[in-house]
Amino acid sequence: MKRDLISIEDLSLRKILEFLDLARRIEGMPLAERAHLLDGRLLGVLFFEPSTRTRLSFEAAMLRLGGRTIGFSEVASTSVAKGESLSDTIRTVEQYCDAIVIRHPREGAARLAAEVSRLPVINAGDGANQHPTQTLLDLYTLQHLFGRIDGLRIALVGDLKYSRTVHSLVHALAKFSGIEFVLVSPESLRLPEYVKAVPEGRLQARETTDLNEAIATCDAIYMTRIQRERFPDPLEYEKVKDSYLLDRAALRRAKPHLKVLHPLPRVNEIAPDVDATPHAAYFPQVGYGLIMRQAILASLLGGMS
Amino acid sequence: MSPEEKVLLIPKIENGFVIDHIPAGAGGRLLHLMQRHREFDNVLITLGQHYSSRRLGRKDLLKIQANELPSRFLQHLALLMPGVTVKRIRDFKVAEKVVMETPDLVHEILRCPNPNCITNHERGMGTTFHLVERETKTFRCNHCERHFTQTALTATLNI
Repeated sequence: MKRDLISIEDLSLRKILEFLDLARRIEGMPLAERAHLLDGRLLGVLFFEPSTRTRLSFEAAMLRLGGRTIGFSEVASTSVAKGESLSDTIRTVEQYCDAIVIRHPREGAARLAAEVSRLPVINAGDGANQHPTQTLLDLYTLQHLFGRIDGLRIALVGDLKYSRTVHSLVHALAKFSGIEFVLVSPESLRLPEYVKAVPEGRLQARETTDLNEAIATCDAIYMTRIQRERFPDPLEYEKVKDSYLLDRAALRRAKPHLKVLHPLPRVNEIAPDVDATPHAAYFPQVGYGLIMRQAILASLLGGMS
Repeated sequence: MSPEEKVLLIPKIENGFVIDHIPAGAGGRLLHLMQRHREFDNVLITLGQHYSSRRLGRKDLLKIQANELPSRFLQHLALLMPGVTVKRIRDFKVAEKVVMETPDLVHEILRCPNPNCITNHERGMGTTFHLVERETKTFRCNHCERHFTQTALTATLNI
């Protein structure tokens, strides 16, 4: 049976641990061996909306495993612009390649692609819904930095209402043991109740508007950008856009081992003077992302069991 | 009121279905919904309103002289009015009785209220909703994964 990666909600803890283990094995593999894991395999990279860094990450992951990629990064030059349905695009492209990565502005588009295709489908973001490879790479980063995920005290900071990255990460972390959440946001951007109601029961979470409290007590801080495009009302965006700024001075109260993560791109929320501190983990996070996407590709394309 | 008078008010049917325990005043909405199902086009339907009920105080009921109820209609009914009773009548007697419950799965009968859900943009595509919490009657769209209350979901029916 073919396997897809559409939503973090579909993954059990065991499945998540398998991906983390596979990423570790790939990272430890000699480069010469790793470079041939997916020799001769072709990945269709279908980006119906622009996202340079996610696309580059998938393409680099595939190329560095010996595979190749085809695809598009905007719909203007494709049949989609002529009114072709998503199902027809998928059924056409699947004749050319061995797996499909899809990013689409409509929520549920990746699920539909997986339903109509006989190939493995990987969701690289569907509207405001899911971005499961981001969540898996976030988990891999945490595991790398701390040697464990269980028992960490993690602050999620910024737009907790609209950020799909945060919602998926909360649901994934809730599957681990003893995670303490500190939810830092302006009142208007608090984590929605339906996200807090995880299948594992209520979250062990403290909600605050004070970033300094999180800095002083947490093992990791996950910063997010407050995204203009998610706000129905531009005035509301102006009110909260610069709510949280993490800079070197603010980090003076941090535990020595505190690590700062960010899905990137950042705008104002992390000052450049943080980059040179031992707390900055957001660029290594991009590197772990490449490894995790290699693990996902190798797993779904059968390069590794 | 004598039993004879009662018969006049609610004429018995020989064969068909009775939808009973409809909250008073909601029978009209249900009739309106039935008009959307073409299977009922030539079916004799009687609506009774505001009858006394031990359970509800007042109730509506519908008598339908049809051999079968379409499954899509039953899905609509279970979603809109959990708690109503559907009775199959044979030879003037109740042959079978089912109390409708909020369904675990709602398949291809509703539109997703999320305007950005792919199901609202892909030609000919149906929807599936799973019940995620019975107490609050909360459903999850299988595609966009958003959660909706039963009220929000059925609002797309416009009845």
